[in-house]
Amino acid sequence: MKQDLNNDTDDKRHSVLVIDDSEDVHRLLQARLRQENIDLLAALDGRTGLAIAEQDSPSLILLDLDMPDMDGFEVLRELKDGSSAHDIPVIVLSGLHSPADKVVAFDLGAVDYVTKPFDLMELRVRLRAALRMSDLVDMLARLAHVDGLTGLWNRAHFDDRWAACISENNRHGRPLSVALFDLDHFKSINDTYGHPAGDAVLQSFAKLIKRECRASDIPCRYGGEEFALIMPDTAPEDAKFVCDRIRTELAALSWPAHPERKITVSIGVSGTDKSVAVTPEQWLEDTDKTLYRSKKGGRDQVTAIDVESGNMVEASAKAA
Amino acid sequence: MESNTGNPELIMSEFADDPDMCDLVREYVGMMPRRMEQMTDAFEHNRREQLIRLAHQLKGSGGGYGFPILTDKAGKLEHFLHDMTGDDLAEADAEFRALLDVCSKLAA
Ligand SMILES: [Mg+2]
Repeated sequence: MKQDLNNDTDDKRHSVLVIDDSEDVHRLLQARLRQENIDLLAALDGRTGLAIAEQDSPSLILLDLDMPDMDGFEVLRELKDGSSAHDIPVIVLSGLHSPADKVVAFDLGAVDYVTKPFDLMELRVRLRAALRMSDLVDMLARLAHVDGLTGLWNRAHFDDRWAACISENNRHGRPLSVALFDLDHFKSINDTYGHPAGDAVLQSFAKLIKRECRASDIPCRYGGEEFALIMPDTAPEDAKFVCDRIRTELAALSWPAHPERKITVSIGVSGTDKSVAVTPEQWLEDTDKTLYRSKKGGRDQVTAIDVESGNMVEASAKAA
Repeated sequence: MESNTGNPELIMSEFADDPDMCDLVREYVGMMPRRMEQMTDAFEHNRREQLIRLAHQLKGSGGGYGFPILTDKAGKLEHFLHDMTGDDLAEADAEFRALLDVCSKLAA
């Protein structure tokens, strides 16, 4: 699944990989599909096609069944069998008189077929339908991981990514930090100004986090008024710096629904710049305790620790 | 070549009137002499795999350029070469000539 919260599928330009052993077929498709909003990638044999599929992850593959050396069936088999490109939809290009081939191709995971020689209209329609379907599948997969109110990743996504980031840290010793955010006295905002006002606060805060974090960071709504930010390749000093900025900016926001009432956030950060042997659960528990220290200390503050030593760390002094 | 003199009538592409296609078809037809040369070379030097590949490609593309008969003849040659048990490509002479004949008559 694409790890991009701003992934807008509506006017996405698709790339389609054509795997066919005949250059004339490539030239033909290039010309006939010129008006479609797609980029065509070309491979003249199955091996090359598989490599391009894995490297460029096109939206769709048009696959000739009848090829010398490695035929389309073998390509399908390899593609579906543990390749990183296994969920790219495949439309099979098959000869006119081979219904049995189509059945086998479907069994191997093809989503559709087009008979050669192509009828232009048919090819276009089937291509569009397959691309639309793959967009929908992408979107559904994404929605299952996105929080409906704020548009941030949800808890399920956090759990997935957090485990993956930790194993990445364990294996390669890459820096890693995580921050937990808890909006101060949030319940009283709901109670005093109503739930729409509370929702507006959650949404504004989500927007703020999204704006302040890097593209590689993973901002999540962790639950109720709790948020989490996974920061790969970030030492705790740098993470604290980022969180301080988020905290300051939130405190400075004015709220049309309740101008008299400022919103603040308490933040706990923990991280490391080397490989550490801490379980995902333990790491989060320690971060939660750090958040609690920020609450205890009077709220509207960031506390950061080195997750291995438990020592407090100060924000790096880099410029914003 | 013998087959060229047999029947002088041209085979027009089904897409001859399609403005999107005519340049493409002309280019395709323009490459036929070279394809015929390659096939003849493979045939005369008894290079079966090479001839199969060339026939296969014409089979895959012919119909797409509006020449279904090219797909048909190329498919027949490919098929024959696949199933042939002997080593001498001369066995495929009839299928080979039929394909070459079609190739020589294609017109944009
Ligand atoms: Mg082919």
